[in-house]
Amino acid sequence: MPANKHKVLIANRGEIATRIIRACCGLGLDFVSLATAGDLASGHVSLARELGGEKALYRIESYHDANEILSVADAAGATAVHPGYGFFAEDYRFARRTAARDRPLTFIGPSWWAIRDLGDKISTKRIARSLGVPTVPGSDRPVYDELEAEELARALFAFQDEQGVESGCVLVKASAGGGGMGIEEVWNMDRFRSVFRRVRNYAKRHFNDEGVLIEQRILDFNHLEVQIVSERGGRNHVHFGTRNCSIQSLGRQKRIEVAPGFVPGEIGYYFDAAGVLEAITRNSLAMAAEVGYDSVGTWEWIVTPKGEPFLMEVNTRIQVENGVSAAIARLRGEPGVDLVSEHIRLALGEPLGYSQQDLSFEGVGVEYRIVAEDPRERFAPWAGRIERFQWAERPWLTVHSHVPRDAAYDIPMDFDPNLALAIVWGENLAQAKERGKSFLNELVLEGAAAGGGEMRSNIGFLLEKNQNILEF
Amino acid sequence: MDIDKRLRELAARLAYVNDVFGPKGGANHRLMNSRLGEFLDRRSAMDPDEQLRRLIQLEDLFAFLEKKLAAELTPMDLVRIVRHPQRVCLKDILENVYDNYTEIGGKDEFSIDPSMLIARAYFTRRVGERVVNQSVMVIGQEKGHGEEFRNGGSVKPWGNAKALHYMRVAETENIPVHSFVFTPGAYPIEDYPGAAQQIARNLYEMAALKVPVICVVSEGGSGGAEAVALADKRLMLSHGYYSVISPEGAAAIEAGLRLGQKAPPALADKCARLLKITAADNLRFGYVDRIVPEPALGARVQDYDFFKLLRGELIMATNEVVGAVKGMKLFRALAMRRGANREAFEVENIFMRWTLNAKARERLVLRRRRKYRAMSRKARLDGRSVLRRAWMAVQGAVWGINSFFRHDLLGKHRRRMQRVMEEIGAEAHLVRERVGRPVRSFLDRVSGRERLASDEARQRLTRLSRPEEGLCRPEGEWAYLSPKSREDRTVTCPNAETHGCRDLWAPDLYGEFAGVCDCCGHHFPMEYEWYLHNVFNYSPSREFNSEIESVNPLSYEGFGLKLEQAKKNSGRKSACVTFETEMQDVKAVVAVLTATFRGGTVGAAEGEKFILAAERAMSKRFPLIAYVHGTAGIRIHEGTHGVIQMPRCVMAVRRYIDAGGLYLVLYDTNSYAGPVASFLGCSPYQFAVRSSNIGFAGPGVILETTGLETPPHYQGAYQALARGHIHGVWDRREIGRNLYQALMTMGGRNLYYR
Repeated sequence: MPANKHKVLIANRGEIATRIIRACCGLGLDFVSLATAGDLASGHVSLARELGGEKALYRIESYHDANEILSVADAAGATAVHPGYGFFAEDYRFARRTAARDRPLTFIGPSWWAIRDLGDKISTKRIARSLGVPTVPGSDRPVYDELEAEELARALFAFQDEQGVESGCVLVKASAGGGGMGIEEVWNMDRFRSVFRRVRNYAKRHFNDEGVLIEQRILDFNHLEVQIVSERGGRNHVHFGTRNCSIQSLGRQKRIEVAPGFVPGEIGYYFDAAGVLEAITRNSLAMAAEVGYDSVGTWEWIVTPKGEPFLMEVNTRIQVENGVSAAIARLRGEPGVDLVSEHIRLALGEPLGYSQQDLSFEGVGVEYRIVAEDPRERFAPWAGRIERFQWAERPWLTVHSHVPRDAAYDIPMDFDPNLALAIVWGENLAQAKERGKSFLNELVLEGAAAGGGEMRSNIGFLLEKNQNILEF
Repeated sequence: MDIDKRLRELAARLAYVNDVFGPKGGANHRLMNSRLGEFLDRRSAMDPDEQLRRLIQLEDLFAFLEKKLAAELTPMDLVRIVRHPQRVCLKDILENVYDNYTEIGGKDEFSIDPSMLIARAYFTRRVGERVVNQSVMVIGQEKGHGEEFRNGGSVKPWGNAKALHYMRVAETENIPVHSFVFTPGAYPIEDYPGAAQQIARNLYEMAALKVPVICVVSEGGSGGAEAVALADKRLMLSHGYYSVISPEGAAAIEAGLRLGQKAPPALADKCARLLKITAADNLRFGYVDRIVPEPALGARVQDYDFFKLLRGELIMATNEVVGAVKGMKLFRALAMRRGANREAFEVENIFMRWTLNAKARERLVLRRRRKYRAMSRKARLDGRSVLRRAWMAVQGAVWGINSFFRHDLLGKHRRRMQRVMEEIGAEAHLVRERVGRPVRSFLDRVSGRERLASDEARQRLTRLSRPEEGLCRPEGEWAYLSPKSREDRTVTCPNAETHGCRDLWAPDLYGEFAGVCDCCGHHFPMEYEWYLHNVFNYSPSREFNSEIESVNPLSYEGFGLKLEQAKKNSGRKSACVTFETEMQDVKAVVAVLTATFRGGTVGAAEGEKFILAAERAMSKRFPLIAYVHGTAGIRIHEGTHGVIQMPRCVMAVRRYIDAGGLYLVLYDTNSYAGPVASFLGCSPYQFAVRSSNIGFAGPGVILETTGLETPPHYQGAYQALARGHIHGVWDRREIGRNLYQALMTMGGRNLYYR
């Protein structure tokens, strides 16, 4: 570490906060942790108290208020701020503000302009296309003209027809929208015009911009990711392999993540799986190099059943599932890679210190997200009190959780009811699946809702999906 | 009996002197009082002859003393005279000046607005053996001798609407309009129509009213007066006043008084003097054409000689206006010139029919335009050298000729050709489709043309659609960033309580967000430079007439210094910035009123710059955009030099719009009073930036004049939109786009790009 020791403000909560605290301690950095009044029972609070003492903990009103967080940073004398994931992680304005204020802070994440350019799907798509990186067929900019839109849609239907897609589907999206708002599917060219007009009016009303995106809708795809790690300055880039995040809840929330993305050795694919993995890592690295990406980030891809990869978006932050990539990574043959601390280390300006040749991958990692939700009720979040939460320690198992194991825990209503991330490693897919199954079966999770209702969790769902991980 | 009546009159005169002069009447008033008292005490002891003799003596004394008082009338005394309940009002004039009349548009309190009186009246004239009734439309405010329902002559917007309606009637009937101004000011109410908007509409219509308009000013209170005062000939009663604001109002502003506080009388006195509100002043400035002399202490109800005089003046003034645009007037013109002294014999002998033919009507409007265009020349400083002015005149002429050839002469033929070609094209298209389609489909079937190859299709669907655009940025960056965006501080949104907005970081707010709260959409004020650069693509080299400079034409005490300061702080010579620009390939002329220069108030220099901008837009066939960064009204320190800009600018606008231009107004922050009630409010296309206020008078003035508390956001942009005063509320971030849309879709048959 450089002589002037950094103090990192952790602008997040829960599981990621505990991991950042541990990573900071591992790197020998000071840290400041935050908690709202309703969140004091969260594990990151006790961990912060344990590792940093009372002075490392600040009470705030909201995790969403940048003003408050930055004033805490000033009061605590922090020199860097770690947004974790969610909250301010991909808010380029926050990143810009930390860098541009009179008392600048190091934003642990990419430079703000990288967040801005890659945070926008349209801009990402245009950058990708300018580099020849494959993207989902469709428009790469907002379409305002009805005739242009119709021609695009017609071409997309014709294209899908030729591709042998049984019933083609086109997505019409409000370009200024997000989070699933203003998206409609069109299955038939005859309906296109009315849907287009509806979406356009919706966009005009809600986002004050009539621009509409038209894209092919890809069904039955696999969701793959490439983990990219770059050093400050944006010159050296390495990848930490691929992940497959196709097992998701109804609301498209990832529930099981697997590294690597495909295992052509164990499972037969209709396409050249190894070639696809190679292509997406190559393309992701090329794009990172082109834009001068300078932190940890994830390139998200979708792969069609015919084995065609399309770049979907770039996540300019550390992701929840970073641990599963770390689990299979070997640095100069050694295990024990920690991407969270790599993220911090690199963001604070240290050089990378290794190249792609020093990295290798071994075995299969599977991450299970244990969430208090009810898969039978469309994954509705469950709120209540966790009485017991226990599992057997294993050498192949890592569990990240902010739920205290020695006391009961009330799940706060304000946040996602994530309870833990369990990362299982196996020499091969079959072993990893077997180990995962035994872990899930042995896991003790008991609790009750305030009204006396039964504890709900997605363990059953995870067990069911565990059977056919990575099958496509 | 007769003596009693005359005594009552004397008592009334005494009370009048007391009302007008108060303690200042001093010795004169005391003398009148004691002599009258003496007479009353001794009256019973005197025989009738003695009484009559003494009474005549007393009356002579009264007349003498009144004359003595009249010799030293101050402007504030005039204001008190004009406001006195005994002063002549319009009803008296109708009864005594005209030979017959019928009140229309309501009677007494049974009227949509009793403070606006309309009557069809006529003068009976004898021409040789013949008797002719010459009709006129009489329009004016009625103060009504203290009648409560007349509202003191303060006209509500619907009263002005009524006036406008009957002006149009007069236009249809081809009879002159005689308008009388007896108002302390318009009633400041936002409604539909709004006070300001209705005055603007009146001015706009009067600017091209095709009948002679003669105006008589007794009490001319700013905007309210202008609503009926745009006339071909303006007469002013010698004891009247014509001002931009009441002296008390000016004093309140001068002293920086808060609500409800009264300005000290001495200050009001001083303001009245500084504002140069008297008839003599206004005649000197050229804003009235003639003074009608009144009796010593102002005309009162019984001053029959005055009415007779006024009758002659009205007839002569109408004759002059009509005569100037009519042919066939040989001797009468001579006589009129001679009859300038208005001797009864001359007046009654000159008869002229007041109806005008179509040509004369055109000439009338033209003359009216010229008359107002030439006004207030001395109230501004034209920094342009003679050479430059000459050059600009030549330039203007060249543009005019150029536009004429390009757009009128050649353009007409080109358009005609285009239309013909279009017709032919449409015919050909139909034939081609009818004949061509079967042939094409047959050929396709025969050749079995291949469908699009898959790779090619993919290539088409996944390539960069417009590589030349480069990478699109999610938020376009502004060309100009406000200096406020360089401070590291947070700003609290005023709606934080109700909308839960978080504090905004100044660089975000004033930079990327363009001064708009990203949570509730509240618009924080932005400096006008932001608009100049980010909306109007301003470049200093395309600014014109920046040398025209605001001055202190009334030598208003202390104002010169303030003006110097404003010039130094803003780096500009007036509150109006005019320039040419090009917005997404549409060229336009833009006039900006900047709030940073004396609150964006409009004086003679600003008015002139605006008029020149309108003229330039007209000769170049460009759209004209008025961006009001903020205006507090007419500049009171320029007095009537400021007020006269209302009709002047409206006439320029009217001329421009009639010539087929597109005049668009965009309000920002606060826009009040005179400008809104004239050249801004008369635009057919008015828009406002969100969170701006548009109104006639600010909430303080409304409370003071009407006693009514205004509800919150009374003059907010959305309220103005709901009332129909503006036609859209624009988000600041989208002004550029909306403006372009407006330029493409709105108004103007005669724009260069149409």
